[in-house]
Amino acid sequence: MIPFHTLSQRHLVYAYCVVWLLEFGYGAWLAVQWRKSKG
Amino acid sequence: MPKWALAWFGLTLVVLAFGFFKAMTAPTEATMGNLYRVFFYHLPHTILSFVFPYLNCGASFLYLFWRSRNVERAAAADAFALASAEVTVLYSTVGLATGMLWGRAAWGIWWAWDARMTTYLLLWLLYVSYLLVRRFSSVGQTAVISAVLAIFAAIDVPICFMSIRWWRTQHPAAVFGGGADSGIDPSMVPAVLWNMLAWAMWGAFVLGLRYAIERRRQRQANAYALGFLGDEGSSVFQETR
Repeated sequence: MIPFHTLSQRHLVYAYCVVWLLEFGYGAWLAVQWRKSKG
Repeated sequence: MPKWALAWFGLTLVVLAFGFFKAMTAPTEATMGNLYRVFFYHLPHTILSFVFPYLNCGASFLYLFWRSRNVERAAAADAFALASAEVTVLYSTVGLATGMLWGRAAWGIWWAWDARMTTYLLLWLLYVSYLLVRRFSSVGQTAVISAVLAIFAAIDVPICFMSIRWWRTQHPAAVFGGGADSGIDPSMVPAVLWNMLAWAMWGAFVLGLRYAIERRRQRQANAYALGFLGDEGSSVFQETR
């Protein structure tokens, strides 16, 4: 279960989510650009 | 995509998952509790955001060196410079975001204009401006202007790196190599090292992929230009030689 009761617990979860969103979002954007550039 | 690149991607995901596992199972810190686990993602991203600008700077130097000697190599260096600048912005954005989230919970403030944070924000702004210059400058001038900007931007990296050693302000002192009192408990070191490795592997993967995309775009642009110019284009080249 994800601890979410205190500010520090929430910010720990937010920090990890921000990292994954930015990193894998960029990775997904690159994958789309790679497919588009084939043509 | 080559098989070795897919294998690298797969291995990176495994190491990322293991790094996450190590970060979550490391002992809880005495004063901050579980909040300190932000450190396992904040530190690798910040350190790597000091490495990619040097790749960008090196590639920019090579571009300026090769641009009148070897056009093909110059184009490759320019593509690498673009890729490394994008990854710098990505990693420094993560460094800023995780630092602010950590700061709000640990210090009660989102931001302080201390030496490290200010020079780090400047680093982020410099590489964002680099990407904006590449996007909006006139065709033909883009590579030279951005290469010169990249060399100037890299000057901020050692200042930012040394800021927590030169000035003691809001940001904590260096955890590693920061003097006699620096360092973390040995039981936390594996989580740091695994996450360093994981995010370095991921950075190398996205850098390589971005480079490959840009090289493909350059070849398509060249083919299009040659097709558009046709015979007249080739005669223009002959006349100007």
